Amino acid sequence: MSLASSFYSTIFKRNSVYIASVFTTAFAFGIGFDSGVTSFWDSWNRGKQWKDLRGKYAQDEE
Amino acid sequence: MASFQAVKKSLNLAPTVRARPSGVPLVPSLNLSVRAPADSHGHGHGASGPRVDTPPSWAGGVTNSQFGLFSKTYTTGPAPKISHQRLLHTSVVVKDAPEVPDFGHYRAKDSDNNRALSYFMVGTMGVLSASVAKSSVTEFLKTMSASADVLALAKVEVELSSIPEGKNAIIKWRGKPVFIRHRTQGEIDEARSANWKTFRDPESDEDRTQRPEWLIMLGVCTHLGCVPIGEAGDFGGWFCPCHGSHYDISGRARKGPAPLNLEVPAYEFNDADGKLVIG
Repeated sequence: MSLASSFYSTIFKRNSVYIASVFTTAFAFGIGFDSGVTSFWDSWNRGKQWKDLRGKYAQDEE
Repeated sequence: MASFQAVKKSLNLAPTVRARPSGVPLVPSLNLSVRAPADSHGHGHGASGPRVDTPPSWAGGVTNSQFGLFSKTYTTGPAPKISHQRLLHTSVVVKDAPEVPDFGHYRAKDSDNNRALSYFMVGTMGVLSASVAKSSVTEFLKTMSASADVLALAKVEVELSSIPEGKNAIIKWRGKPVFIRHRTQGEIDEARSANWKTFRDPESDEDRTQRPEWLIMLGVCTHLGCVPIGEAGDFGGWFCPCHGSHYDISGRARKGPAPLNLEVPAYEFNDADGKLVIG
């Protein structure tokens, strides 16, 4: 049994399973997409955000 | 009357073609022996001459004699035959066998792969559209929630060590007064020992306080919104001067027109700084 037919029989054959897997994948995809974009944003703006600069100023106050 | 009859008499219009008394039409100028033109009239279908599909004159024909039109056939001429095959026509060409090309070269070797790929693409489209729909709904709902500056103003911090035991403090929170009572042990016992199930708005003191020594309530009378006076009334709690509602040391309505207990806002204790955060 090839990979394609095993995929078909496990996921695509029953519509309920198909839709459920679509929604769970959408949920996971949303989380992954958000975290990916956030990490990209942080790396792109490294050294400019407050959480990068906080150590510098908070220690000066205390 | 007779003239009237004459007017009503029907008329026959003269025929356009004269006819003999026998009924045969007489058309002297009709040339029935005309033939096709002798030239090829310039569209190239072969030799000039009489039309091939008309019978020759010796085989018969139509003559216009003194007695009328005569059609005579001397011999059985050859039937007009199609001298060449017409290549342009609208009818479907009948073929002996259907000539279907062989598409075997284009067919998938394994149809399972194609089927799984089709379903996979449809499912991926579903995943993308579901995430787009979910994120648009959540982003729209986020626009309804309070912004960060509003949330920052919505919290109030109170230094707990500034309120001694047995004293009230009144602070302003979101435009309303908030009562903070540092209760003594006697007041706690009194609040907890009361038979609260018989009250107008039955609520136990444990439900109304996170810590027994701190009672935090909104200082708005539940009757018509006056601000009650602390350490007053028949039950040692609060007394509303407007219409005489009495609240006990747990802020519960005990007497008077107030229908509900004094409302408890959301609050939490910050033990590290010794502060109370309302909101």
